[in-house]
Parts: sequence; structure tokens; C-alpha cells
Amino acid sequence: MVELRDVSFSYDAEKNVLEHVSFGLRPGEHVVLLGRNGSGKSTLGRLLNGSLRPSSGTVLLDGVDVTGAPRGVLARAAGYVRQDPLAQIVSDLGFDEVAFGPRNLGLSPAEVRERVEEALAACGIAPLARRLTSELSGGQQQLLALAGALAMRPAHLVLDEADAHLDQATRTRLRAVVRTAVARGAGVLEIAHSGEALPDATRVIVLSAGRLAWEGSPEALLRDPAALAASGLESDPVAAALSRAVASGHGLAQAARPEVLGRFAEKDAPLAVVSRPARERLVARDVAVSYGDVEALRGASLGAGGLTLLLGASGSGKTTLARVLAGVLDPDAGEASLDGARVRPGTVGLSFQRPEDQLFCETVLDDVAYGPRARGAGEDGARELARSVATRLGVDEELLGRSPFSLSGGQMRRVALAGVMAARPAAYVFDEPSAGLDAPGRAELARTVRGIADEGAAVVVITHDAGEWLDVADGVAFMRVGRVTARASAREARRSPELFEAAGLEAPLLVRARSAREVSPRA
Amino acid sequence: MRRREVPGAYVRGDSLAHRLDARVKIVLLVLATVATFAASVPSGLAIVLAGLVCALAASRTSPLTVLRGLRPAALVLGFSVLANAVVLVGQPGISTDGLGRSVTAVARIILLVGFALTLSSTTMPTDVAAALASLMSPLARLGVPVGGIATATSVALRFIPITADEVERIRCAQRARGAVLEGSLAATLRGWRQVLVPLVVALLRRADDLAEAMSDRCYTGEQTSMAEPLRPRDWAALALAAVWALAAALL
Repeated sequence: MVELRDVSFSYDAEKNVLEHVSFGLRPGEHVVLLGRNGSGKSTLGRLLNGSLRPSSGTVLLDGVDVTGAPRGVLARAAGYVRQDPLAQIVSDLGFDEVAFGPRNLGLSPAEVRERVEEALAACGIAPLARRLTSELSGGQQQLLALAGALAMRPAHLVLDEADAHLDQATRTRLRAVVRTAVARGAGVLEIAHSGEALPDATRVIVLSAGRLAWEGSPEALLRDPAALAASGLESDPVAAALSRAVASGHGLAQAARPEVLGRFAEKDAPLAVVSRPARERLVARDVAVSYGDVEALRGASLGAGGLTLLLGASGSGKTTLARVLAGVLDPDAGEASLDGARVRPGTVGLSFQRPEDQLFCETVLDDVAYGPRARGAGEDGARELARSVATRLGVDEELLGRSPFSLSGGQMRRVALAGVMAARPAAYVFDEPSAGLDAPGRAELARTVRGIADEGAAVVVITHDAGEWLDVADGVAFMRVGRVTARASAREARRSPELFEAAGLEAPLLVRARSAREVSPRA
Repeated sequence: MRRREVPGAYVRGDSLAHRLDARVKIVLLVLATVATFAASVPSGLAIVLAGLVCALAASRTSPLTVLRGLRPAALVLGFSVLANAVVLVGQPGISTDGLGRSVTAVARIILLVGFALTLSSTTMPTDVAAALASLMSPLARLGVPVGGIATATSVALRFIPITADEVERIRCAQRARGAVLEGSLAATLRGWRQVLVPLVVALLRRADDLAEAMSDRCYTGEQTSMAEPLRPRDWAALALAAVWALAAALL
């Protein structure tokens, strides 16, 4: 058991990120840690595995004070899996990657091999041993990272939003691996942002502004509106449906079954009002792109008006199509057009998951004004426009003079989005805009993007969080091996798991729930 | 994101050269380097060339790849041949002596590039790093952090393609905002500066994350060596190469 006793932590010796937190992770329990972005969740996780040391308070491992012990003591006791697979993979070969930890422990080569095989098998990825890590999809890389942590046979495991970048099918696999580890006696702390984590939890803790705000069973959380609000899950659709199911007397395990959840999933009306099909403004026609001898797109066609979700398994060509649509990648064949004219770079707003990628000016104001200035708005006009867009997106006035790289993650995202919107493009492409955002942040982003579409822009959103975006979308396009293989209205996709399955995807829980309800209304 | 085939980048395969131990391949490259520069003209060089043909065959590398690998240096090589051949002082004209000298020098470079490419296209960067560490292990007694050097090398090599992707993504995002990154020399320079700032920020953060992730997995610099003993084919390759290098140098 790892235990924090009255622990406080500060990065800058001024402001405490955690204040007087006491928490213990026991073997065989699965604790889900919830809280808004910036509430100190990752800090707590890192204190548990010793990568941070408390400013005050003590850390105990099986009752022994290890606050001042060498780093390796806690690192061995608590494995850590992060959000971004690229940030944790060290080796070229799958086998070497998993062997990295055991080799650091100084085990014999035979034992290293045994542990690697065991960990790969536990994660169901034995064939990846001989593959190059750079060739793997993000989901496979993340399963490999998990295997790398498990190969050290830690008694505890911290998952720091480990599923944020994964598609639904890989999330399901990851959950199954973690469930097995818990059943074998590992203590798991899962930092989560979505209600889907709750059914597996044996206990939930909520951090709010660095303090332990709530602690209890997942059912109790779902029955307690104040706790839900503090956790940020108030605006999470899965949590909302689960909470209604629990309130009407279902146990959580039962409530999470699609056929039960379906009865409680329909209460929230979708935000999108499809009165008439939106005019197709942003169009890709028979686009082909290959990288070397890999064909990423083979004749993909897409017409987008209103808010269109672009869904597909990893490697299906979504990101490549996004770049062609934005005019920053010239296709080998076919073309992308906006209102009938060929797309040029700068005419379609493009936004990536990581805001840092698109910021480059010295001050926030300059950066947001860059787009309008490039379009010839004039210095004063550009700044005025920048200010108004920044205000609309909730960027604090006092931040405008700071360097965009000095901002917190959430603020940086707002600034990056403001920079894209200030250029007033007639169409937008968002590539994984909501990964890593907390539920209120995701809801706010979805509202903003819906607003852009309502003002007449064509918006394409690529996302793994299809379940939530379906509520604000007009239409859905499914991609498979380089082509758009199916189109549907969001209304239809909301209740049709078979559309997802045909594209090689696992349907989001809420979609399965709505569909199960229609099949067996009395279940 | 458009990836070009880089000559010399690791190509997955199962050729004889792929299966040789990385340590042996590094020693072979050292032997080949010595042989290439010690070889007499023309018989020694012919033997070296025969060795290269064998190496290319054993690694299933096309000679065209070697030529593509030379492309960046082609201008300099061509110029050096010319510079040696053209005599401007004394009796201006073409010097056959000079031409011969420079052609052999360039031939040696081409041979060497060929050998280096067969190593790099059949050996994964981590294997190269691990093999170097193992060959340097006697230095550990002198206090050289051999394990650390090996890991740093391997991570650096691994990050080359990741950095290239990062640059590409940043350029895409900036161009989509109307930034002009190419054009006149001034615009191109400004474009690169503009890409460099977020790139450095991203790489520094990535380096931090990675260091953190490595110490999460108890990395201290000391690791169990997974190197296996050399197999008969490795010894055979070493013996053959030694004989070949001697022959090239002495004949």
C-alpha cells in the first residue's frame, strides 16, 4: 500500500498545487481520481510513484516512511502510464521497449525475457514484440507502454488519463487489462475525465483546487450532485445517464449495461437542430495521397456543410484528409475545394490537438491578430478583431501581452483557437480537439464549435470521443482504408452501432445503449 | 507528413546482413574502412569492390540506394575530381596524374558510403547503440558512462523521425493560419525561425517527459545486457572479413 499523509506540494514554492491531501492506495482496489483540469490530479499521481517529492507531509510504502528514500523505491512500487505514448516510448523494437524496465532492475537476461513475454501476453499484444515501435498505431503504442509498466510487476499502477488518445476499441482492451491486474491484486489509481471509468471503480476520489473534495463509492458519487459538479463529470453525458439510472434504483454494474443505460440516455436532446441539410461548402473529390509506397488516401470524397464528424480507425487516413481539406497538403490526385474554388493554405482554419503547434508570435495579442493581419485587415483592425475574438473565447485581458508559450494548457488552447477563428475562415478542420480536456472543457468547446457552424461555416471534426460530439454534429462520415465509406446524419448515427462496426470501430457506449433500447424496450 | 525514403535508414528485412550480430557488423565496418583506404590501385580496390558487392548482396541493398546516398555529396565529389584534374599553374591543361588520383580518392569514398549504408540499413539504431556500448565496455573501467552514452545515442536516433514529423505538423498548422513559410530567401529564413520557436518548446517538453518516463521505469544508466554470445556465422563473417581486408591491403 502506498499512502500520502497530509501531503502538500508546490512547483514554485508560492502556490500549493496540493494542500493537505491524505490518500492511500491499497492492493486490489481500483480508485478513480476525478477533478477539473488543473486540480492537481497528475501531481497526486506523481507523488505516489515518487517522481515528485512532497513539500510537506509524508509518503509511506507498506507502512514505512519513504519520503526521503531514493527515487527507485517508489518507482518500483508504482508503475506509471501517461497520456501520450510518444512521451514514454524509448526503444525501436516492441520487445526492447517492454524489456527496458526489467533491465533497469538488474534482472538476469532469462528473467527479463520471461517478464516481457508475460507482460505482452497480458496486454494481448504478443505479435508486437518484433515490430518497430514507430510503425505502430497510437493505440498499439499505448498498450505497449502499459506492458512496459506491467513487466516491472509493480504492486501499484497509476494511469494518468492513459486512454485520452485512444479509440473506443483500444479503450475497451485497456480496461480489460487493468481489470485483470486489479483482480490479481494490483492497486490501481486511474486519473479519468469521463464517466466511462466509473463502472470499474471500487472507490472514487475528487480533487478540487488541490484539496481532497470528496471520497466514496462510484454509486454515491452519481447520487450526489455537488460531488458530480466538483468532479467535472456533471457535463459528461455518460455520467449523466449513469446517474439517472442509479437514481432510479439500478446498481452501477447493471446501469452500465447498454440495454439498461439506453433507457436513461435519451433525456438530453442533441444541440444540433437539423432543419435542412446544410449546403456542402468544403468538398474533397477523389483525393489520393501516398507516402512512399503506403497509400494513405485512395480516392476519398467528402462534402461537408454544417458540422461533420469524420470518424475512422487509426490509419484510415483521417488526418491526411484533414490536411488536404485545409490546403496544406497537395494530393497526388483529386482536389479539395471551398465554395467551388480550390482550397489554398490559409482559407480553411486548421486546428490540431496540441495548441503549441500553431502558436508562434511573441505575445498572445500578436498571435491572435496574425490571421487577420495576413488577410490584410490592417494593424488596428487586426488587433481589434483579435481582442473581440479573445474575449469571446474567454481569454483574460491580462494575458494578451504575455508570451503564448507561458500560458497554462487550457488557456493556450483558447488562444490557439482564437488565432484560428480570428482569421474568419469560411471552413474549419479540427483534428482531435477535445483529447485531454475535462468534461466541462469539452462541453464548452463543443458549444463554441457548434456556434461556428451555426454562423454558416463548414466544420469538420476528427475525434475519438464520437459519443459526445454526436450530440452537436449534423452529419457523420466514416473512413476506412483511405476512403470515405459511409455517410449518415448524426441523428441516425446516434443509435446505429452497426455504422461504427462497418468502419472497423467500436461504437461509443451511449450509441450502443440507445440501440439496445430500441431492440429490447422492456429489457 | 510526406515521408521520403531516406537512403541508409533502417529497412526491415531478414537478409544475412540483418541476422549478423550488430557488434560484428560494426567491427566489419571498421575493417572495411581500413581496407578501403589501405587498398592499392587497382588490384586492392578491385578486391574491396568485390567485398562491397558481397555486402550489398548479403543485405539485399540496391546499388541505386548507394548512389542516392551519395547525392548530397555529389557536387563536392565532382568538384574535387575537376579541381585535381585541371591544372591552371605552370602548363595549363588536364593532368592525367591528378585525374587518376582524384578518381581513386572519390572511388574510395563511394565504396565507404556503400559499406556504411549496408550497416545502417540492416541494423536498428538501438542495436547500433547497444553494440557500441558493448564494444566500448572496457572504457567503463576508466569511469566512462558507457551505458548512458548508449541510451542517449539510441534515444537521439529514435527522435530524428519524430522531430521531422513535429516540424511537418507545425508547418502545416502555421501555413493553415496564412503564414508564408517559403518564397524569397528572407521569407524562408523568417519561416524557419517561426517554426523553430514552437519546435524547440515542443522538443524540450518532450525531452522532459521522456526523462521522467525513463526514471519512472527505474532507469539509472545501468542495465542488464541482453547481448547474446556470437554465433558461428558471426565468427565466420569476422574471419572472412579479416582475410579479405588483409588481401585488399597487401595485394
